[in-house]
Amino acid sequence: MFPKFDRDIAFPLLGSLILFGLLAGAGVLYQALFTGGAAERLITVMLIDAIIVLGIQVYVGNTGVLSFGHIGFGAIAGYTFAVLAISPEEKAKRIPDAPFGLADVDMSSTVAIIIAVMVACAAAVILGIGLARSGAQSGAVSATVITLALLFVTHEVSRNWPELTGGERVGLFFPIGGALDTRAPIYLALLGSLIVARLYAQSRSGRLAVAAREDNLAARAMGVNPLVQQMVALVISVAIVAVGASLSVYEDGSLLPENFFFNFTLLTLVMLIVGGRNSVTGAVLGVAVMTAGRELARRLGQDGFEIFGIGLDGKPLDWIFRENLQTVFLGLSMLGFMIWRPKGLLDDWELDEWLRARIRRDQPEPQPEPLPEVVADATSVLHAENIEVAFGGFKALTDAGLHANGGEVVGIIGPNGAGKTTLVNVITGLVPPSAGNFSIDGEDVTTAQTHELARRGIVRTFQNLRLFSALTVRENVEVSSLIAHSHRTGRTIPDIEALIGEAGLWEHRDRRASELDYGNSRRLELARAAALAPSFLLLDEPTSGMSDNESLEMIEQVRHMAATVGAGVIVIDHDLGFITGISDRIYAFDQGTVIAIGTPDEVQANARVQAAYLGSAAGA
Amino acid sequence: MLEVAGLTTKYGAISALRDATLTVGSGEVIGLIGPNGAGKTTLLNTIAGLLSPAAGSVSFNGADVTGSSPEKLLRSGLALVPEHRRIFTDMTVEENLKIGGITRSAAERASDLDEMAELFPVLKDKWTTAAGFLSGGEAQQLAIARALMSRPKLLLMDEPSLGLAPILVDVVFNLITTLKEQGRTLLVVEQNATRMLEASDRAYVLRSGEVVATGTGTEISERDDLFDTFVNG
Amino acid sequence: MIELLQNLIDGLGRGSIYALLALGVAVIFGVMHLLNFAHGELITVSGYAAYAASNQGWSWYLITPLIIVCAIGASLLIERIAFSRVRGASDFTLLLTSFGVHFVVSAIFLLYVSASVKTFSRPGWVTDTFAVGSLNIEVFDTIVIVVTLITLLATTWLLQRTMFGLALRAAAADFDTARLMGVKSDSVIRGAFALSGLLAGIAGVFWLMRSGSTTPSAGIDPMLSGVLAALIGGLGSLRGAVLGGFVLGLAEVLLRSRLPDGIAPLTDGVVFVLIALLFIFRPQGLITVAHAERV
Repeated sequence: MFPKFDRDIAFPLLGSLILFGLLAGAGVLYQALFTGGAAERLITVMLIDAIIVLGIQVYVGNTGVLSFGHIGFGAIAGYTFAVLAISPEEKAKRIPDAPFGLADVDMSSTVAIIIAVMVACAAAVILGIGLARSGAQSGAVSATVITLALLFVTHEVSRNWPELTGGERVGLFFPIGGALDTRAPIYLALLGSLIVARLYAQSRSGRLAVAAREDNLAARAMGVNPLVQQMVALVISVAIVAVGASLSVYEDGSLLPENFFFNFTLLTLVMLIVGGRNSVTGAVLGVAVMTAGRELARRLGQDGFEIFGIGLDGKPLDWIFRENLQTVFLGLSMLGFMIWRPKGLLDDWELDEWLRARIRRDQPEPQPEPLPEVVADATSVLHAENIEVAFGGFKALTDAGLHANGGEVVGIIGPNGAGKTTLVNVITGLVPPSAGNFSIDGEDVTTAQTHELARRGIVRTFQNLRLFSALTVRENVEVSSLIAHSHRTGRTIPDIEALIGEAGLWEHRDRRASELDYGNSRRLELARAAALAPSFLLLDEPTSGMSDNESLEMIEQVRHMAATVGAGVIVIDHDLGFITGISDRIYAFDQGTVIAIGTPDEVQANARVQAAYLGSAAGA
Repeated sequence: MLEVAGLTTKYGAISALRDATLTVGSGEVIGLIGPNGAGKTTLLNTIAGLLSPAAGSVSFNGADVTGSSPEKLLRSGLALVPEHRRIFTDMTVEENLKIGGITRSAAERASDLDEMAELFPVLKDKWTTAAGFLSGGEAQQLAIARALMSRPKLLLMDEPSLGLAPILVDVVFNLITTLKEQGRTLLVVEQNATRMLEASDRAYVLRSGEVVATGTGTEISERDDLFDTFVNG
Repeated sequence: MIELLQNLIDGLGRGSIYALLALGVAVIFGVMHLLNFAHGELITVSGYAAYAASNQGWSWYLITPLIIVCAIGASLLIERIAFSRVRGASDFTLLLTSFGVHFVVSAIFLLYVSASVKTFSRPGWVTDTFAVGSLNIEVFDTIVIVVTLITLLATTWLLQRTMFGLALRAAAADFDTARLMGVKSDSVIRGAFALSGLLAGIAGVFWLMRSGSTTPSAGIDPMLSGVLAALIGGLGSLRGAVLGGFVLGLAEVLLRSRLPDGIAPLTDGVVFVLIALLFIFRPQGLITVAHAERV
């Protein structure tokens, strides 16, 4: 069942409280050691930085898309907040000619923050649509460039619109009526950000986003629409950044275009990277570590400092420690981590997950009951005909077709280059056919996208094994299950834990997919596909790389999984022993077209098939 | 000339190649046949340095070259015609050949270019055409000629007849025969087992990553159970 | 009409420099899949060298080769120290690495020189113009365009007619297969960085002649122009990068002269918005390299 109260709500809340306590506590401790306004300011800035970095983490960590634009959103929020919250008297001095009559607006800071968040989120939606159109995938350069464009546009606008922003040199400088005299709002915002960040990561949307981050194609094949989840992550992340930016402006009492540009982007990204971009705990750690490091660099650069009565003086090494050492420190940290530890200090380790594992250690989870077999719906039909696919001048498929009923196992064989994989790619929405059509249960789905096809009941596995490596066995299967509960409601949806048990993976349920051996990895892929309660399981070379014995075992596993969820099976493989052992009917392909259809015995005895496999003799 | 012993290569957890052993003597044509997914390409790619083996060794002309980089292996005299040819589609035929000879001197390269034009008249006609416009058969010839430009002592070929119409398959196998007559040493992975066995001095049959049979070309092709070997073993 | 021609020439003048910068960026992207945010730093470094030399009384006949040598040297140094360690890493890692390098280099100048603007004298003819009919043409623009054309021709010759160029193109097309041919990865990547440095150096000569000054953050503007132009053209394509450079130059000039007065200062911002729109609707850039058929 989802969400699991312990794992997805209780412990994340607890973890957020603890992280809040640790960070705030560290700040209080620091201020006790180094009294004075400078220390106080340092900690306040650190807390606000943490809010912003948490916001960025929600997007970058969960989607894997590198964004240079979040500080641009911060600028949008910051300026909106400032212009709204500054009293009309102050505005008359700085920006008397503000457009839209803003110079006369008098708003409380609370309302101003709310509006700033809304404006920034609106901008996020617009940018998100742009990112979706350009097909943002984890790592794609063009997505990052679009976010960079946002950063530059906001910078340019704020520099060149003095009526609104006070321009480049003067900026906005103001006491906002009712200064930030307690840290209460900051503490509140920090705690809130932690909670939102953790709860999002554990939520349905967060999990689907992470799946897409791990393997975009596999996620789509399991019915996930990455673009939707990335949009959700973006808007939530921008909302958090907007709050942080507004507080930052409030605290500073001044706002210049430079404040929200490259330098701040570097700072926040380094903090995120150092801690570990895939974890909220990492983000907090990164903020703390980099704040400490920067401060150390700054002090050493100036004139040394004293701690516990011991003086540390950088003077003799003055030529190294100069002012502006901070930026070098940040840049070197970025480089160092990218070269030697790109996953950061904590990778994706979360404090509350560790706590839960320890505290609940003595409460064993009972092994689930075996699942009853489900009778496959024999009336379910997948039908493809006259499929043609051409890559440039090369005809990969000519008049290819396939017919499978819900209850049967259909095998597809043929030598390399025969077109088998192309056909599978067509019926899973990865390659559009230039001619022909295919339908599921009578409904034409020739132009449907991969995730739509998965939701309609065609789920595939991959020859190259595409698991969500960083996720556990249970979390892998959970992704499909989440989709099934939303989109496969007419079917019997198997319980996740029971399915894992049926797949023989119970003892590995909380291990990461990347740690499984090959056989178990294949089992997991099969279980993950089955969890979607598909009408048809489409297996692409499931015995690839297996020994003969393992291939024979695979026959049983496939039959068992299919029976557990009542799915028909379509399987491609080169291992003829496996295919003939498992199939009710076989399609034999060669040179892009079907050359034989029949029972395993019929097809094996077919001379054309034999010739296709062994190669024709000279001149034949 | 080439000795491969106990070679095992993995993709992550997948053992694509297990404990493979084979030898190639100077002047021989060795065939490597077997069903798809058997590990034939993995074997060639490991020998050629594109993949690192998890276990086992490769020695070439007496020297241990296990895990060497492709650039080094080429300079020792081992050239690979990769699966799917991998010709540089935006470069002309001539440029593709020149790249093949990049390790040779300009004079040697020039004379080799002439030789390739003789040996592959089809390419001579398309000398300045972009390689991407070549047909399948022409592209295969270009890939082979390009590999020959480095004057290799051992030529590895990965599925040269893949995707070619029967007439062109003839051309490829005629080429193999011609190269053999020139005294070259070849190790050829082929899907077309029948033709390859005819052309080979000796052959190895691979299935599920392991060598399951070896012998002269004739011996293996005369096995009644050849198809079964592919299917069941 | 006259104004349009004037704009055209101005645009070509700017576009030439952008084309050179873009080409430098595209060359590296081709072999390493790395978008080099540190490209502008090559000009910063050369700028400081020019400043130092100018103080010593060097003439521009000497400063010009100095700038070029410095750019090449800096490019190779940065490759050695930073980029060689992240070969083959994910796009995410590569982008952040180059981001980090940009900061480290510019911060080093902040540390060891100063934040203030260093000016040096520019050659006298930089502001000269001559008249052709009713057009007023800057001598500078003319020289830039001519030198750029020569450089582009020379680069084309290098890429098409030399073995080095062949190796570079092969590595950009299919790195593994190039290695199978015996192309050494180290050599080809260093060569790419050297070429990129050379192009940045030539662009830098003109950039610095025009600005007559340098600061630690002087590299941001040329870097942006180079990166953006390369993106406009389509990152996989060298021709596209050059085209992108000219398009960017012309767009800037035309926008500046056509935009209503209130928005004119936002020209750069408008350019960015247009580029972002381009990415949304045509992520592959302007030039889809018409790949010959897959065989």
